[in-house]
Amino acid sequence: MSEHPEGHGPAYEHLRARKSLAEILQSAAEFERKAHQFYTGLIPRVRKNLRYLVEELAAEEKTHYELFQRLAEDPEARQQIQERIAVPREDHRFSDYIQLPDLGDNPDDQAILQYALGREDAAMKQYRELAQNAPPGPIRQLFEYLANEETAHKLELEKRYYELVYGGSRMVPRV
Amino acid sequence: MAKIRHDDRGSLLAPLKALGFFTRAPVTETLAPRPASLNYRGFHVNDWSQCIGCGTCQRICDNAAITMVTIPSLPQDPARGIRNQRPAIDYGRCCWCGLCVDICPSGSIALTREYIHICRESELDSYFVLPDPNGIHGQPFPAGWAKSEVSELIDPARQPMKELPAPTRIQGFDEIVQGYEPQQAIDEAARCVQCGLCHEACPTHMHAPEYIRAIWRGDAEEAVRQIYRTNPFAHVCGRVCTHRCEQACSIGNRGEPLAIRWLKRHAMDSVPDERVRELVTQDSVAAPSGRRVAIVGSGPAGLTAAFDLARHGHAVTVYEALARPGGMPRYGIPAYRLPDDRLDADIAVIEAQGVEIRCNTPIGAELTMETLRQQYDAVVLAIGLQLGRSTRIPGSGHRDVHTAVELLRRIREGEALAPPKRVVIIGGGNVAMDIARSLARLQMRRHGAIDITVCALEDFDHFPADPTELKEAREEGVRVLASRGPKEIVIDADGGLGGLKTLGVTSVFDEQGRFAPRYNHEDEQLHEAAWVVEAIGQISDISILGDSLSERLEWDRGRLRVDENGRTAEPWLWSAGDMVRGPDVVHAVADGHRVAASIHQALQQHTEAGS
Repeated sequence: MSEHPEGHGPAYEHLRARKSLAEILQSAAEFERKAHQFYTGLIPRVRKNLRYLVEELAAEEKTHYELFQRLAEDPEARQQIQERIAVPREDHRFSDYIQLPDLGDNPDDQAILQYALGREDAAMKQYRELAQNAPPGPIRQLFEYLANEETAHKLELEKRYYELVYGGSRMVPRV
Repeated sequence: MAKIRHDDRGSLLAPLKALGFFTRAPVTETLAPRPASLNYRGFHVNDWSQCIGCGTCQRICDNAAITMVTIPSLPQDPARGIRNQRPAIDYGRCCWCGLCVDICPSGSIALTREYIHICRESELDSYFVLPDPNGIHGQPFPAGWAKSEVSELIDPARQPMKELPAPTRIQGFDEIVQGYEPQQAIDEAARCVQCGLCHEACPTHMHAPEYIRAIWRGDAEEAVRQIYRTNPFAHVCGRVCTHRCEQACSIGNRGEPLAIRWLKRHAMDSVPDERVRELVTQDSVAAPSGRRVAIVGSGPAGLTAAFDLARHGHAVTVYEALARPGGMPRYGIPAYRLPDDRLDADIAVIEAQGVEIRCNTPIGAELTMETLRQQYDAVVLAIGLQLGRSTRIPGSGHRDVHTAVELLRRIREGEALAPPKRVVIIGGGNVAMDIARSLARLQMRRHGAIDITVCALEDFDHFPADPTELKEAREEGVRVLASRGPKEIVIDADGGLGGLKTLGVTSVFDEQGRFAPRYNHEDEQLHEAAWVVEAIGQISDISILGDSLSERLEWDRGRLRVDENGRTAEPWLWSAGDMVRGPDVVHAVADGHRVAASIHQALQQHTEAGS
């Protein structure tokens, strides 16, 4: 994936400038909130038969947003984060080989999932890079945690993409 | 032998001779049990883990000594040919002939090596015994008479099918399978034990035992009647059915399952087309109902529904967007598997019931679904899965990247397709095999050589294509690579297509069995080709519904939501076939019947209500 739907540079720089766990988590939560807003706005643009997909993506982003926000407000966040990164997620890198689509006015289900995959892939790579560049300590652990979360989300989307594209029949309008 | 007179008193010295016996040593029989013969025919024992509940033992028993008892706790799986029934024996009737053992398709029944009365206490007045995993009444006994190659009553091998050899068939699109000779068909039918597992496994519940019995008797017309009880796509299913019946066939437990599909093919080919039309039409006597039904799509689901509804007396019009009726069997299955004239024969029978088919009449811009709703009492949407998915990997938008369903349609329409010398196919299912083998024939015709590479995600142990398809594709020179995942379409500096890059696939499914391929990123290969053909998933074009109807309908994770009878959220609209159930001819036929029954019932209710 060569580019991020929301632009790699500003988000990356914004996150790198954050200095506390709470600030980073608030920023991450904000990205998730924007994604939730994006999918919510997309719902009326797609045909009724595909709305379930966009609604599910919006709901997942909302869950992520609420999780990050809860962690930002929780003094025990560091302990929870350490527990979560104890099991690193393996990146299958499947999304490397999917093109980032132009969603256009009436995207099909495959394009919607391609877009979601691209977004998760880029977020995962950003957090991973930030973790590598951060000094050892709680900030690095937090970025590793965020990368882990995005990887898990991406893996789930990849499975859904495969089930959709390779797994049988669906209905889409000819575009 | 010398005759002995009844009044012959013998010699006068006979008593003296008898006295001589007193001088012999006495013979003493021990009271300890002696070992019985290894093939002793005692009571029945049944290995429940092997028994499939087919009831063949019950059917062969001339004394009606066997009753199949349903055991609710046992598994039941019609698709795999497993019933949750087990035989119980009435020893007041059993004559210990052992035929139940000799015929048993799974080899689960045997007779014990002992003949011991095992009924006790309250069971003493009963001769009815259910052999179970613990033996008989909880007592295990070693098996005596058991199934063996010597006592086998059924030939475990199916009759060989005559087929064109690969060097011949690759020269064109002639049908590969040549069909059974009459005696071969009788011999193959003679292998059937009439267990009926095939009937239960078939999505449309074809009366296979009945038509196989008719074939065995040499009565092809009766076989055709039995076939048409449930399937108007008789020639089609005799050739390209997914033959779930054969997966369930009890004979397949110890040998090759019956060639049920080929027997159906034989019966249909044995009766002239005109006579088939007569046989099927002669019992169609329903008076016109005055009701009109429109069907969108002329594939197996749509035309099966049309067949049933017309026979109920309804006026049926089928709308087909393409030039000829038939749907995917016409435009998606190569002629070497299904010749046009056999599909035409099936459709002619359907038309003979009074069905009107309007080809070159797409629904959409000029003729809308709303128009059909206004003009007809009911509408069936059966448009199939006519579009192919794209991998959408980098480069997949190139002009020389095609979808398999599009190319298959163009070939079947008679277009002079000119494939290049090298083609790569992405996919490992039957559609991938169909397009690979079709393009191989065209390559042979055009270039005199074949260079087709199929790249499938799955390994050969989990290959999605039918094993026969895979075998025949290889025989025809198609190179099939397993465990290769598409990475990128390579485009050269001039904008031409250079080939497909793939990665090795290390696993396809995750721990939960979900589709989640993992790649070995160090294992990259370039498959040079001037065309890449994508043969992965298929989709249905629902733009014909229009925005308004799409909004009014209910959807279930992308699929049109229908009830168990195929009715949508709109009371005038039903849907059937691949677009609802996924791609499969015989499922589409079953779906067509289901939808037709529901529509007929609804129209009857309208009539009774005076609406």
